[in-house]
This record gives sequence, C-alpha cells and structure tokens, in this order.
Amino acid sequence: MPHESNHAADGLDIPADLTIPKLFYQKSQEYGKDRVAMREKEFGIWRPISWQEYLDNVKYLTLGLIRLGLVKGDKISIIGDNRPEGLWAEMAALCSGGVAVWLFQDCLIDEVRYIIDHSDTRFLFGEGQEEVDKALSIFDECPKLEKIIWDDPKGLRHYDQDCLISMEEVIALGREEEKEHPGRFEELVNQGTGSDVALLFYTSGTTSLPKGALLSHHNMLTMGKHLMTVDPCYDGDDYVSYLPFAWIGEQMMSISCGLQIGYTINFPEEPDTAQHNIREIGPHVMFAPPRMYEQMTRTVQVKYLDAGWLKRKLYEFANWIGYKVANLKFDKKPTPIHLKLLHGFAYATVHQKVKDHLGLSRVRHAYTGGAAMGPDHFRFFHALGVNLKQIYGQTEVAGISVVHRDGDIKFDTVGHPIPGTEIQITEDGEIITKSPSVFLGYYKNPEATEEALRKGWLHSDDKGFIDDDGHLVVFDRTKDVFTLRDGRPFSPQYLETRLKFSPYVKDSWVIGDKRDYVTAVLCIDYAVVGNWADQKKLTYTSYTELSQKPEVYELVEQQIRQANQDLPESARVFKFINLYKELDADDDELTRTRKLRRAFVEKRYEDIINALYGDVDTVHIDTVIKYEDGREAHIKTDLQITTLTE
Amino acid sequence: MSTTWLPCGVYHQNYSQDQAWFQTNFIRGKMILLFAILFIGIPLVADDYVLSVCNQIGYTVLGALGVQLLIGFCGQVTLGHAAFLAVGAYTSTLLILEFPWPQVLLDAGLAYPISIFVAALVAGIWCVLFGLPSARVKGFYLILTTMAAQFITVDFIITQYVSQIGGRGQAFSLPPGTIKIGPWVIDSDLKVYYLMLVLAILCVSLVVNLLRSRVGRAWVAIRDNDISAEVMGINVIQYKLFAFFVAGFIGGIAGAFWISNLAAISPEHFPWFWSLWLVGVILIGGVGSIHGVIFGSIFMVVVMEALQLIIFWFMELGFAWAQPLFMDFLFVKEAAFGLAICAFMIFEPNGLSYRWWQIKNYFNLWPFSY
Repeated sequence: MPHESNHAADGLDIPADLTIPKLFYQKSQEYGKDRVAMREKEFGIWRPISWQEYLDNVKYLTLGLIRLGLVKGDKISIIGDNRPEGLWAEMAALCSGGVAVWLFQDCLIDEVRYIIDHSDTRFLFGEGQEEVDKALSIFDECPKLEKIIWDDPKGLRHYDQDCLISMEEVIALGREEEKEHPGRFEELVNQGTGSDVALLFYTSGTTSLPKGALLSHHNMLTMGKHLMTVDPCYDGDDYVSYLPFAWIGEQMMSISCGLQIGYTINFPEEPDTAQHNIREIGPHVMFAPPRMYEQMTRTVQVKYLDAGWLKRKLYEFANWIGYKVANLKFDKKPTPIHLKLLHGFAYATVHQKVKDHLGLSRVRHAYTGGAAMGPDHFRFFHALGVNLKQIYGQTEVAGISVVHRDGDIKFDTVGHPIPGTEIQITEDGEIITKSPSVFLGYYKNPEATEEALRKGWLHSDDKGFIDDDGHLVVFDRTKDVFTLRDGRPFSPQYLETRLKFSPYVKDSWVIGDKRDYVTAVLCIDYAVVGNWADQKKLTYTSYTELSQKPEVYELVEQQIRQANQDLPESARVFKFINLYKELDADDDELTRTRKLRRAFVEKRYEDIINALYGDVDTVHIDTVIKYEDGREAHIKTDLQITTLTE
Repeated sequence: MSTTWLPCGVYHQNYSQDQAWFQTNFIRGKMILLFAILFIGIPLVADDYVLSVCNQIGYTVLGALGVQLLIGFCGQVTLGHAAFLAVGAYTSTLLILEFPWPQVLLDAGLAYPISIFVAALVAGIWCVLFGLPSARVKGFYLILTTMAAQFITVDFIITQYVSQIGGRGQAFSLPPGTIKIGPWVIDSDLKVYYLMLVLAILCVSLVVNLLRSRVGRAWVAIRDNDISAEVMGINVIQYKLFAFFVAGFIGGIAGAFWISNLAAISPEHFPWFWSLWLVGVILIGGVGSIHGVIFGSIFMVVVMEALQLIIFWFMELGFAWAQPLFMDFLFVKEAAFGLAICAFMIFEPNGLSYRWWQIKNYFNLWPFSY
C-alpha cells in the first residue's frame, strides 16, 4: 500500500501566532494534489481525497459561510457521523474565524437544544435528514440559530424551510464570493492568532450538565506536538477516524496530530462497519476509550470459545507464552532465549493472525484513555504484542497530559507527563496540571472556570499519586473511591473492569461504599450470552428474559468467582443481580463516552440497592425505558438476587 | 467488493485495484510458484505417461471452460458441447490438410496457429446458431435443443458429409510434421503440454477477464434471474448469444488443440458422452467457479487413470475378474462417472471448489472459526 516518505514530527515549532487554519493552508499547499489527506469508504472502495480537494472544499465552504453573514467569533455547531464533510465543516468554521462546536451524533433532543442554545450557535452543520429533523424541532427554541446546512440529500426532497441550505449551495455561494473578492480566503486564514478560541467543547460530565470548555488554537497544536514528541507519527501513516468528533481524543488525533504531521485520515463506510473497516486499513496509531478494547477482547474470547480443538489448543499455548513474555516486560526483566524462540513461534502461528483479525497488524502505538481500563484487558493486549498505552487527560487540556513511554509500561499507572506538561498532586491528593494546552475557561460559566483554573493550574477533580518510578497513578474520580467495611479504600472501577474481562459481561456496576459487603449489578452481553444460550438450547425472547434465566445466573456467578480470586475478602462481590436492561447513555446512566454515572444510577436503581442490602432474594421492577427516538416502553419484571457462598 | 481475502492493511482506492488479479504479495508468490511448477517443475520430472495425463487434463479444462461459462455463469444448460469441440477440430484439420496455404505461411509455420483461430471463430458461430433457441426456451427445453447440436453436428453433418471430404472415409489422418507452430513441430507429449499450458492460461484469462467486466456481470445477472436482468436494462438475448459464442470459441480452441495430440481424427473422438462428461466435470468441480473447472478436470482425469491402473494391477496380480474389466474399461469408466456424480451430489453438492474455499478459510480465519 502507499507508504510515502516518512518525516518524523520533531522540529516543528509552534509560534504563538500559528493557528489551525494557517497550518492547514500551509500543509495543503505543501502536499497539494499528490498526497491523500483523507479517504472515505464508499461503495466498497476507499475513495481518496487529496489535500488540494480538501483545501478547495474548505475554502469555498468558508467563503460561503462568510457570504451567509458569519463574523469572527461566531459559533458553528456540527453534528453527524465521522465523514470528510464533517471535518471540512470544522475546518471551514475555523478558517472563517468562527468557533467549532461538536455534538455527539446520538445526542438526545434536549442535549442538542441545550448545547445549541448555550453556545449561541448561528450555523449548524447536520449530515442528513436525521440531524435536520433534530435541528428543525428545536429551531424555534434557539433564537440565535440561523441556518442549518446539510450534505446528504436522502429524504430531504420535500424540505423547503428557509433555514435549510445544502452544503453544495454554500460552496456555490463561496465560489461567487471568490469571484467577487479574490484572496478573501487567504485574508481570513491569516487573521487569527494562536490564543483565539478554536473549539467550544462540551464535556460529557459524569456529574452535572455539560460545561463548555474553550480551547484555543495554541492549546490544540501544542497538544499534538507534545504527544508526537513522545510517540512520533509519520506522514505515511494511516489513521481511522470513527469515534465521535465530539470526543476530545478524536480531535486530538484528527486535528492536533493529523494536521501537523499530515497522515491520512480514513473514514469508515458506516458506524456499524467501523470495526471491519479498521481491519482493512490497519491503522498505525489508534486512540480509543477502553470500551473499544474491551469489545475487541470479548470478540477474541468468544471466537476462541467457538473455534475447533486444534485452533483452541494452539491459541491457549500461544497466549500462555504471550502472557509470560508480557509479564517479564512489565517487570522489566530480560526475556530468556528459549522464551524468545517460543514467542517467535507463538507470533508466527497465532498472535500475528489475531492481530490481523483485530486490525492491529500495523499499529505502532495504541492508546486507551477516557476511563479506567482493567489490568486484565491491558495484559491481554500486551500478550498479543500490541503496544497499548494508558493515557490520562481531559477535555480541559485539549486531550492528554500523561502517557506511557515505550518500554516503560505499568498497567496500573498512566505513565509520565508529556513534554511541556507539569503534574502535581495537591495535599488532598488531587491531580493538577500546568501546560500550554490548558484551556481558556468554561463558556459562560465563570464560577466553574475559577474552580478549575487556579493560578494557571488545572484542577482535575481526579485523585491520584505519583509512584516510585515517577509514574502517575490515577485513583479515580474523587467521589468514586469506596471505603470498605474494614476501612480500606477501594476503587470500584478496578473490580468493574475485572468483571468486564469476562466475555459474557458487558457492563458492571459495583456497589459497596461504607457498606457491610460489596455487591454488583451486571449487564450481560446479549449477543454473547444469547449465542451461549442457543448452544445450550435455552429459549428466550428478550434481553430481560435471558438475563433472568437461572442458567445465566450460574454462568455469571462463575465469572464473578473468577474476578473475586486474589481479592481481599472484604473487596469480593458477595451478592449480585443481573440487570433487566443494558446500561445506556440515552437513559443518562452512562455518559456519551460510556462512563458510569454512579450518582444517577444509584438513585435510579435505589430499589435494587436496597434489595441487595436487604434480606430478600427478588426485587420487583416496574419502570419505563426510553428509546433513542423518544419512544418509551414499560417494563415489569422480577429480578433474582444471587448470593455467593464459599 | 473484492472477493479475495485480504490481510489487514491492504485496501483499495479504486475499482481497478479492487478487481485486480493478484492483490497481495502472498497471492503473487503463490502464483509464481504455481507457474514455476507448471512450466519448469512438471516437465522436469514427468515422464511421457504423466505428461499425457496432464495433456488430457488440459484438454478437459479447455472443454469444460465453455460449459462452465454457459451453465455456471450464464445459466444456459448445455449438453452438446462436444459438437463445438468437433467443429473446432475438424475446421482446423481441414484447413491444414485442404486449404491452399501460400508457401510463405507454410514455411513460417503459421498454418496451424491461424487454423486454431479460424476454428475457434467457426465453432463460436456454430455455437451461436444452436444458442438461438435460448432466446425462446429455457431450462429443460434448452437442454434438448443443445443435445440436437450434438446429433446434428457430429452424427449427421460430420459423419455423413465432412468425413467424406477428400475421399478419406472415416478418419482424417494427420501426417507427422503437419502440426507445427513456427519452427516447432508439435511431435512430442512435452510440446503438446506446453501448447496446452499456453492455451489453457490464455483461455482461463479470457474468461476471468470477461467475468470481471460488464459482460460477466450481465451473465451472472441473467443466470440469477433473467427477468430482473432484463428489467435492469440488460439485453438478455444479446448477452446469452455472446455467452454461446465465447463458449463455442473456447470449445473450438479445445478441439483445434486436441488434434495436435492425435494422429488421426474421427467422429468417435467427440461422442455425446463427452458432452455429458464435461457437464460432470463442472458438477464435481463446482458450478459457477473457474477453480471448479480445473479441480473437476484434474479429479476426473486422475481418478479415471488411477482406476485403470488399479484394475491393471489386479490383472497383473492374476485376478481373473480384472481381465474383462480391463478389456471393457470404457464401461467401468462410465459407471465410475455415474457413481462419482451421485456421490458428489450427496456429499459435496457445491463441488471441489467449495472445499477449496473452505480449506483456504480455515487458514484465513486462523486461529478462529469465523
């Protein structure tokens, strides 16, 4: 496959007046027609888009927006799947001097309204009918919103509202503008400085309403540069963009790093085909929240269970070697020669193919961040030979601040701060950060800004400490640390991720702060457990029914026993319940990045908690669940509680 | 989408890459190895007997290719394909023996190559003629019309009239030295083998290239549902007739090639059973697969040869019952053919190519099963 000359990232200085548009213009001029800026999978092939096409589209889109009346500092919201048009829209927003606001594709209508209204959005880029419908339904409630721009005409033929305009029309307007004012685009690109606001980013917030973090061009660019000083990327690299642009990690990879080094960004055909498309591309860098890696682990484990005898045995053997070698690597001990030979064998026979199936063959650095990742998952990937690293960061530092270095990986830490970043621990154990990437403040929220930014230090609300090797250990959100009955502190996420290592468990929620014992609420993986039930000839009609089968309880109990092993007695799960539904962001149980909103679920499932700590063995549920399209369904069921006896 | 199993990191930016022949280095390596074995390995180690078996396989491949195209890709069941092989063989022979070639061409050794091409054209046109009923009739009725091709062409026209040309009676003998390409006189199994390889590779490439073009897609559409194909704007009759032409064309090449391996040709070389045999080859190899043509040919030829060897071996060992079997091997062959078809229909209805696909998948999906 195309693999152009490789230039490492270092030596790139970030002057104070450099902005993303300036860099974009410079790169597009440099790479022109011959280099592929992005690819999108369409009708079975990866349609390439050169830097020249990228520039042209952004240019006319920018000029079109100007013609529509955009002035410097206006907010432009963008919602939709990952696709080239989304990135053009963002770049056009920045080039025209505006501020880009990304919304999660699956945001419910209330969230969309809140963000559009709060950010004073004037222009909204939506992908197609779905987004246009969302926008139209809130149009009257958001007085500042003027135009809704769409690019996929499917289903929009009979939409004739004045506020709607297609991307093509905007580009046509841009061409007119170019004719009337040649050189206008270059003027616009050159107008800003690095300290201008580039992005308004709404944090997912496990606790409260989303807050809008203001990030400057300088924040974004220094972020990318510093990350790539640690782990260089090359301009011949491939990157797959499939996680929401409304997640800072994706911005960091696609804009902060992607633009500076000029690697090719690949967009999957559909969100559903992302995993398959990643395998085709075989990216060189990857950044995903733990759930993606958890999903990969689950896929491998389930496929392993279904494979033939010979394949299973070889896999087990290779894994055994892989784990041995990975553990030696973690302990920084040399690998003895016989293990090296066996490892070569394991790689040739199994690991190479498994990596190929997962699309990790070419991956140089894989990052995970955004939530805690269990040591089991972590070890799993290292046993396969994937260079997986933990990172620590937040929206407010434009991405990440701490990362593992090659060859210095400890699965319970997040590594060392990246260059230009200072990390300190306050007396209460809170992690605070200082770096050129620390954000400007929250939009229209001075109190929160004051709380987060004190004397240039960003207060994270995360607890942690720095270990003997200088690695940062992030304990957890301050509020999320449990005290067990014997008084020791305990991170529920640790146990939750351990439980999630089982392929049958999709989500877990551990309870037990200041209680007599630890309990867990588990969500089975419908597909995996369903498949298992099919093989056992168990009949079921719904998730609810399947989750309550005694056989399924037995299965889950085995998984818990495994997770309980080598835990102190007081930290072991004593009782558990299978939840009648999967935890879902649409029900506000998870954030859009799939972090558990503990306070919320504790309130919502109060009955279950009471039952878990009461003297009953069933709990009656009578509740309403919300679907993505706003429909509601009534659920009435009895949930079993199982107590684990020794 | 590309039907090849591609490793991670190999992707296509346009449709020509997507439809390319050898998409990965592994496949390229595999093909180079295959060609090395075919062109260097086999000629080095094989004796005349093995070479003659290979030639027979090649002849079967060439013959079955057209049948596969008609049945497997265009859905036009044919049971008279031997007729077009016969047309090819006779056209070529007659051209070599009877045509007043200018001395220049004879000296340059071009008579045979030109005759192959003309034979292919004539057989193609002849095949279109018998494909005409396909405009009106389908399925079972079409089978009968194609059988008519066999009886009209071989049993009537060739036996009664063509064979009388030049007053030779039944068989046309081909004196040594008449079959030559350029300076090479095709007079040994090895030379026939190389001719076979070149022709087989050319014909397989021709068919595969057609299949990955607009024509091939039209054929497959007609095979899957001719009414839908027509609704989609495919000129069904035109494409069906084109399929008959190409099938006949390749059949003509097969026939014209086969005379290089014969000292004389007669209508008995192209019995109706041979038409049936070719259909059997693709059934066993796998309908709708080019691999199937090759696997089916190898299987049928090798199994029959092995059977003959085994019976011969028993006869040598002194078993009395083996003697009549060996004498009447033709009947044993027919019985074995019937048995093989039955067995495949029951145990491996998708043919050998499906098994091949499964074996490849076993390793492609390694260490998983899906």
